[in-house]
Amino acid sequence: MISIGLQAEPSYGVPGKKRWAMVVDLRRCIGCMACVAACKAEYDVPLGVWRTTVQVKNTGKFPNARRNFMPRLCNHCDNPPCVRNCPTAATYKHEEGFVLQRYERCIGCRTCMIACPYNARFMLPRNRTRVGINNVVDKCTFCDHRVSQGLVPACVQTCLGRARIFGDINDPNSEVARLVGTHKTATLKPNKGTRPQVYYIKPDRKSMEQATSAPVSAAARRDAEAFYRHNNGSRFFSAHL
Amino acid sequence: MGIQEKLSTSRRGFLKLGAAATAVGSAIASSRLVAMEQELGGADYSPVTGEKRKAVPYTCMACNIEDGGVAMIENGRIVKLEGNLKHPNTRGKLCAKGNSGFLHVYDPDRIMTPLKRVGKRGEGKWKRISYDEATSLLAEKLRAVIERAKAEENHEILNEIVMKWGRNRTGGAVKRFMHALGSNSMVNHTNICESSKKVGLEPSWGPDIESCDWANTKYILNFGSNILEAAYFMNPNAQRLVDGVVGNRAKIVTFDPRLSNSAGYSHEWHAPYPGTDAAIVLAMANVIMNEGLYDADFVRDWTNVTAEQLIAHLKPFTPEFAEKESGVSADDIRRIAREFATTKPATTFSYRGPVKHLWGAYQEAAIHMLNVITGNVEKKGGYCLPRGMGWPQPEPVPPAGPALSAIAKPPLYPLASHAVSTNAPYMVMRGEAKVSVWMSYYDNPLYTYPSSHVWRAFLGDESLVPFFTSFSCYMSETTEMADLIIPDVTYLERHDPESMPSGLYPCLSIRQPVIQPLGGTQEFRKTLIDVIHKVDPDGSLGIRKYFAFDSVEDWMKQHFDNIPGLKEEGGYERLKKDGVWPVYGKVDKETAKLVDDNGNEVKAEYGLYTTEIPDEEMVGTEISEEGTITRDGKPIGVRINGKNYVGFGTPSRKIELFKEEWRTFGFNPLPTYKRLPSRDKKPDELVLTTYKVNVHTQSRTASLKYLAEMYHKNPAWMNPQRAARLGIKDGDLVRITSPLGYIVTRAHLTEGIHPEVVAISTACGHSAYGRLATLKQRDPAARWAQGNDPDIANNVWWDDRGVHPNPIIRLSVDPIGGSQGWYDTVVKVTPAQAGDKYGDTDVSIEQAMKDYDEMLRYAYTGDLHRAAHKEVDIDWNNLPEPKLTGH
Repeated sequence: MISIGLQAEPSYGVPGKKRWAMVVDLRRCIGCMACVAACKAEYDVPLGVWRTTVQVKNTGKFPNARRNFMPRLCNHCDNPPCVRNCPTAATYKHEEGFVLQRYERCIGCRTCMIACPYNARFMLPRNRTRVGINNVVDKCTFCDHRVSQGLVPACVQTCLGRARIFGDINDPNSEVARLVGTHKTATLKPNKGTRPQVYYIKPDRKSMEQATSAPVSAAARRDAEAFYRHNNGSRFFSAHL
Repeated sequence: MGIQEKLSTSRRGFLKLGAAATAVGSAIASSRLVAMEQELGGADYSPVTGEKRKAVPYTCMACNIEDGGVAMIENGRIVKLEGNLKHPNTRGKLCAKGNSGFLHVYDPDRIMTPLKRVGKRGEGKWKRISYDEATSLLAEKLRAVIERAKAEENHEILNEIVMKWGRNRTGGAVKRFMHALGSNSMVNHTNICESSKKVGLEPSWGPDIESCDWANTKYILNFGSNILEAAYFMNPNAQRLVDGVVGNRAKIVTFDPRLSNSAGYSHEWHAPYPGTDAAIVLAMANVIMNEGLYDADFVRDWTNVTAEQLIAHLKPFTPEFAEKESGVSADDIRRIAREFATTKPATTFSYRGPVKHLWGAYQEAAIHMLNVITGNVEKKGGYCLPRGMGWPQPEPVPPAGPALSAIAKPPLYPLASHAVSTNAPYMVMRGEAKVSVWMSYYDNPLYTYPSSHVWRAFLGDESLVPFFTSFSCYMSETTEMADLIIPDVTYLERHDPESMPSGLYPCLSIRQPVIQPLGGTQEFRKTLIDVIHKVDPDGSLGIRKYFAFDSVEDWMKQHFDNIPGLKEEGGYERLKKDGVWPVYGKVDKETAKLVDDNGNEVKAEYGLYTTEIPDEEMVGTEISEEGTITRDGKPIGVRINGKNYVGFGTPSRKIELFKEEWRTFGFNPLPTYKRLPSRDKKPDELVLTTYKVNVHTQSRTASLKYLAEMYHKNPAWMNPQRAARLGIKDGDLVRITSPLGYIVTRAHLTEGIHPEVVAISTACGHSAYGRLATLKQRDPAARWAQGNDPDIANNVWWDDRGVHPNPIIRLSVDPIGGSQGWYDTVVKVTPAQAGDKYGDTDVSIEQAMKDYDEMLRYAYTGDLHRAAHKEVDIDWNNLPEPKLTGH
């Protein structure tokens, strides 16, 4: 069971610097999975690992059933346990808020993967389609390479429902600052003290819980079993049935 | 000509841009900077090198919505796709399928060379040949048919040249090709898609679909459309729908036997018994009319019925009757009817759910009527006409072939304006049509059609189909059966003109090669030019002149260089740069509305039918007693309360809720409800329905790794309580048996489905379509294939490719709209028997042929048609004779 903050406290990061944050408006997520595909393409993310996912969960009994969607990605924490636990300083906190990975320093020890309470990190496999970075840990970068060029991240770019909103939370006029300032928002596992920078609007217990719940249906369980058979040692991060 | 006239003639009829649709330049910058928000797109950089990726606009064709896209290219390779911010309806965003579309280009099992069959048909033995050899071979076969028609002086022989397509977005190229050859045998796919929706709408108001103003509405009544996952036009509509629901606080109510993502997103989900939508809708209409909640002025002025006539017609359709038929409570029906009628503006939306049944066209006509009686037609936030644009065809345009084709338009379905493609193999097997050369373009009936095994038998029989050419670039179930494969290129490497009414802003767009076609592959358009030049090398047949294009680009220029407005802005070159025209404005970063230089919204146009005809255009017209304005016998408008309006695209220029032509063939001229045979199933049976998911098209995307990873198996959805009664647990192997035979699949128990329904998605269960779709990713690549993707070869972790339901789905044709009744098959679901293996499929051809005969009994000449339409007052013994119309 995870806990939810009643009202997440926004973090302003380094004074005088931009503080990039994402707001996920769960009222607007339709579970279209465009973000998942866009992210895979942007980075040539291999099969079996994800920088972002959208989890799907049905709740209620017929005829009062409902469906909930829960987009997940790295929380770019202000107090990131992955950074603290990395023995080689391969992972670090950028002054504008990104939690990033220096591949050349990564020894693939997976300590950061275990330290991350959100399961947001993964080991890149040996084989990829076109990018030659392998066998090191990778993660969501908030698309720092796009953001530094004045663009929104790829998942935000394609989000059909405009459920993902990105910007500088230190700018009081920005949409993210206003959304966090005027809506009830939550972050994941605030009790871990990580100070996540992905804020969820209109979180309800069901959708927040599904963030870490095990697959429920037989179909999802069979997928998980197949996944573990193939990717020994990985932690499953996605289920769509 | 007024806007309306052109709009209603065809939804792609060229629309003159009025004042509200004025194009503005693309270089816009707001001077009122408030927050330094990030740009929404338009550029991309390599995360590895930081280098800017090259951006080239195109039009998507992952499905048929034709979104505007921009391809991001790194070192000559397409690495990323995003939506085109200049496209007024796409507004910079693509769905999961669109984002994954570039994987089509690099599919390791893409066919990279023409292939000639060397083994037995369907055996999979191929000889690689050149495009020159391939087009010569096809030209030789076509020329032989033309010469035989000449020698025997029989034009009908020309119709033995058949082109069957699934997705034809060639902007008229296929028709030009077929008509040049003298054949009218063009067989589309629309009856396995939504054709009865089109036929339910066209006779009433002209075009074949509605365009809802989602963003500005206050109430959405959704009948059986999965608009957030799949329906026309999913991406643009889903964007606006969320804006309407969250931004404009609209309420959405969905009727669907299955909890789709759309139903799951709705404020209310009601699960009616499949095919009973019309009962619910007519009961709502009954409430609205009887409680005086209707728009009396609109009904009086703009329809061809009176309120009294409707009240009398709706009398039997009470909420209590609807509850008995559908299972949705009479109280809910009354409440929702009142909410819908009293909340303004409001709109319905519907797609395949209600119409993919026997008599589906009635259901759509009924839903359409709800908008008419509440006066929501063409209102801001309401139920609007589609807005599209057209382009001229290069001259000379070949005339239609000399003989009408039965296979193109089966004569027993005179009202089915989008034909009855499902019937093609049966007609040939029964000798009602003949084939010499069968050509297949973007089509996979061996996978996508009901009783798909019939197509395997048909295309596998060389006595029925002597020569079969496929233009596919993938080895689909259908292409495997070909004698000759002349592979097309992917949609990112070819040229097409496009316009889709995917929102309230009409526009033109293009496909263009964003990279050069890989490996010397050749686009279909070039193949068509080459084939025609080889059929008629010296022009003596008189058909070469229709393909006198210097190049494919020359062909495209002829479409676009003379369009008024576009011409002044640079014609085709302008389209190559922006991908779309006109560019209405910029997407506001916070509201996603289209805004001008000053940040003000670029307003859409409403009330198109009330455009007044200028006095000078009234000269020489006649006005009938009912007010219809005609010129040379052709209706051009309607006079109402002393004003001359363009009206709707119908003979009376009003909305024709009463359809006289339907009556002629013994159908009820007013929207009605007919109880389906599946409604009377036995208690131990279930209704089998199918559905699309958000990350797959009907048949072409199981080969795309990102999408396959997200969704790769399609267990049968069942309600847990119902399954328990049948002794079935979650994940159990089950046998699903229809009169055609059975499939063995797994059960997926979920609360999101009606207890009388079993639902199976059509996204997976391929026996072909490459190694990924069939999970043979570790096999070596075929010699004709592109090669290998190390990611696919090593990292695929799933081990289930699904089981397709089509072999057990029965042919069921709506006698009005001609649509396949996908949701009419009644099945038994039982625990698997000893020895059953996952994926086992055993079906009968004999039963499929019986189904064809049974189905014809519902056609307008059939006995079951007459029995079901006792209320229609016509001379049943003198129905019109069936006649050929296909051209």
